[in-house]
Amino acid sequence: MLKIKNIDVFHGDAQALWDVSLAVEKKEIVTMLGANGAGKSTTLRAISGLLKLNKGSISLAGVRLDKIEPYQIILHGLSHVPEGRRLFPSMTVMENLMVGAYVSSAWKSRSSAVNEMTEIFPILKERRNQLAGTLSGGEQQMCAIARAMVSQPKVLLLDEPSLGLAPVIVERIFEVIQRINRRGVTILLVEQNAHIALQIAHRGYVIETGHVVREGPAFQLLQDQYIKQAYLGL
Amino acid sequence: MNLKLIAEQMLNGIVLGSMYALVASGLTLIWGTMKMLNFAHGELYMMGGYVLYFSLILLGLHPFWGILIAMIIAFVFGLLMEKMILRPLLDKPGWHVSPIVATLGISIFLQNFALKAWGERFKSVPYFIEGTMDLFGFRVAYQRVLILVVAAIVMVGFWLYVKRSRFGIALRATAQDRDAATLLGINSHRVYLLTFGISSALAALAATMLAPIFLVNPWMGIPPQLKAFIVVVLGGLGSFGGAILGGFLLGCIESLATVFLSSEWKDVAAFAVLIAFLIFKPSGFFGTKEW
Repeated sequence: MLKIKNIDVFHGDAQALWDVSLAVEKKEIVTMLGANGAGKSTTLRAISGLLKLNKGSISLAGVRLDKIEPYQIILHGLSHVPEGRRLFPSMTVMENLMVGAYVSSAWKSRSSAVNEMTEIFPILKERRNQLAGTLSGGEQQMCAIARAMVSQPKVLLLDEPSLGLAPVIVERIFEVIQRINRRGVTILLVEQNAHIALQIAHRGYVIETGHVVREGPAFQLLQDQYIKQAYLGL
Repeated sequence: MNLKLIAEQMLNGIVLGSMYALVASGLTLIWGTMKMLNFAHGELYMMGGYVLYFSLILLGLHPFWGILIAMIIAFVFGLLMEKMILRPLLDKPGWHVSPIVATLGISIFLQNFALKAWGERFKSVPYFIEGTMDLFGFRVAYQRVLILVVAAIVMVGFWLYVKRSRFGIALRATAQDRDAATLLGINSHRVYLLTFGISSALAALAATMLAPIFLVNPWMGIPPQLKAFIVVVLGGLGSFGGAILGGFLLGCIESLATVFLSSEWKDVAAFAVLIAFLIFKPSGFFGTKEW
């Protein structure tokens, strides 16, 4: 469904990705593992058009995403929960969700779409009129995921949803990710926490200094001697 | 020193302050969304004054249509300015100062253009409504009452628009986090473009309302531009509520300075307050990022 072929991406003069290829099939959860600065977020930002490609292509269900404007990508059914949540801090939770419904197809049915999200995340209903900047880390992550889901995407990109959260909260977030996946949403999950990511993913890629170094089904990666040592601490 | 005089001057201050608020809210809108200062804001104001003058005197239109045309022309001019001059500069990495300098250039150009094209004679515009009314025992010109009413309607309307409408939500989202807004399908270029247009139209509106009081001339934009900068600092850069509050505050400070010192001192008082704020409360009443 989502195909990334041989992409090179630069941050200014420094090359961040070398010939990275990966594919996500319909209704899969695919995880991308790697250390800080390995190029995981860069890959997601390239998919969303926030970074330009120097080489290669990115396509979603046959549509070349690298050929359209970044703000049009969500119209093709791809939504991105960025690293660090990136909520609109001086807007309320409800207003943040409303921005999620900005695209014209979702705007008309915004109240039902927003209601659907508050059913998945009841805490957001409680906090509806609170400014997003005052939420706890876990609540912010839930709000960010809900905001990305309001437009009812087919593919969801998640950038480090576990970052800075207590283990209990991380577990809750990952349960929700699985629930979203069971509703038919394809997921590309970037994580440093390899343990939990490989538990829910079907397949995984490992990226190091801008190169894909391993790929395969999650159960295989869990057994891989190198990954055990480098990422699972076993 | 009688109380009646003070109260009368306060009322004048509030009327004038409401227009400062309108001019400043355009500036703060641009700062809030684009993180840019527009030094040509006063000249967009000046253009509004001239358009009103020509509509009323040459075309003989009703003031309502004159105001509307002035706002539309300023809106379109703002769009063109953003698209043709500022956009190419804003997108260049490492060129943060150049758009601001460009607006300064536009400002100088427009002043001299007006001087060359329309002459240096000050042009007077008649009051929209003649006569005075009795307000709490004061005699107030209808024009001033009209200014207050228009300011109130526009500010409340604009506030609701930014809070409730789809575009308003996009505008605030872009102001707070441009990348996150892009990910959610918001075309930030379009937001910037319309922001500039709306800001210009607000400046033109203020100019048309004040033109009968201050006369139309090539330099008419300079005082409101400077005052708007003071207001924006008092209220907090980028804050809409701050621009409103700051506008009224500045109007009242000037009026009180006129009563207690003399009218020559009113600008001294205004800038003294600015300096005091810069020293003791540089973030203004509301700080930054209120959108």
